[in-house]
Amino acid sequence: MDFRPLNELERRHLITALRGNADGNRVLLMDRKDTSFAGSAEEVPDEEVINAIKSVPCHY
Amino acid sequence: MASAWKEAIRNAARAARKWADRVSAPVAPLKPIVSHVIYEPIRKVLLTDEVSRMLFDEYSAHRKTERGTEETGWVLLGIRNGDEAIVMVTLPAGAERDAGEGHVQFHAEAQAVASRIVRQSDKRLSLLGVVHTHPGTLRHPSGGDFRGDREWVRNLRGGEGIFGIGTVSDNAPKNGVAIHPQPQTLQYADLRFDWYTLADGDKKYRPVPVELTIGPDLAKPLRKIWTDIENHAVAIDRLARQLMNVQFEIGESLNILVGLAASGQLRACIEGKSVRFFYEVGEDAFQIDLPAGTRPDQGIYLILAELAARG
Repeated sequence: MDFRPLNELERRHLITALRGNADGNRVLLMDRKDTSFAGSAEEVPDEEVINAIKSVPCHY
Repeated sequence: MASAWKEAIRNAARAARKWADRVSAPVAPLKPIVSHVIYEPIRKVLLTDEVSRMLFDEYSAHRKTERGTEETGWVLLGIRNGDEAIVMVTLPAGAERDAGEGHVQFHAEAQAVASRIVRQSDKRLSLLGVVHTHPGTLRHPSGGDFRGDREWVRNLRGGEGIFGIGTVSDNAPKNGVAIHPQPQTLQYADLRFDWYTLADGDKKYRPVPVELTIGPDLAKPLRKIWTDIENHAVAIDRLARQLMNVQFEIGESLNILVGLAASGQLRACIEGKSVRFFYEVGEDAFQIDLPAGTRPDQGIYLILAELAARG
């Protein structure tokens, strides 16, 4: 059993993900090899994607 | 003579557009993005093998068409994961794009409908960026690209986008195997794509390493019905925004399904310019005849009104 301390970035990620899980039922991803925290997955609203598509600027 | 006039008009329109882009106010972010995920700067772009194949194949096919000298492009959807962007969807510029040898503006209405369809199975898919081609050997985004993209990236997760530039290369490998001459470059035959990122506040694009992984292009099944999507994009988008229970089925044709509050569903089956309508309840299905030329949204509302009148 490994009690590896998290670095600052990992700690921030974990806290944000746990908060998202508690507040918004966001999924917590787990590394299946060692059960370590592997980030969080977030659903993106339709309108956000569609607004971004419709605002793609002209490319030259 | 006619084509000379056409080209002159296109050049004038292009010049007017560039001028307008320069003098107009920057595009404001549409709505602040609310996120529980911390996004790091993108350090790697991962393309699925099918996405990479699609970009090379469609770029090659585009160059053989009548409009082959024009710029073309794709919108990219996928997943932002820590410091990497995984591209899983390519949405083409479309036949109704506005393009010339010096610019391309995608048919966004069709791409928006396509995004609704591919995201039915995975709501994590977000807009990651854009690929477009250059006719010469400019293998990085232009100054005009920067003026638009620097504002637009605020609408993306992490305030950062990925940008691919497709160009033709003189030295094509002869053995039919893609090469990776630089970390940010993939080349297959005589075509290459160079990859960059741009984040909100950046002064310039940053080359970003690109790698391949095995996976799908989730928009590949849409290619055979892309013309139908383009023809009916505005009506479909309006329907999906106004009604809650709208789903899509892709087979040989594009099917729009509208769930009914009580039981059953309505189906609009789009085949070319024509649309057929069905009412399905339990094991039964009824075809509903409406006048030729009835739009998908118009037909659905007519049937809903009829069902409401019948109680």
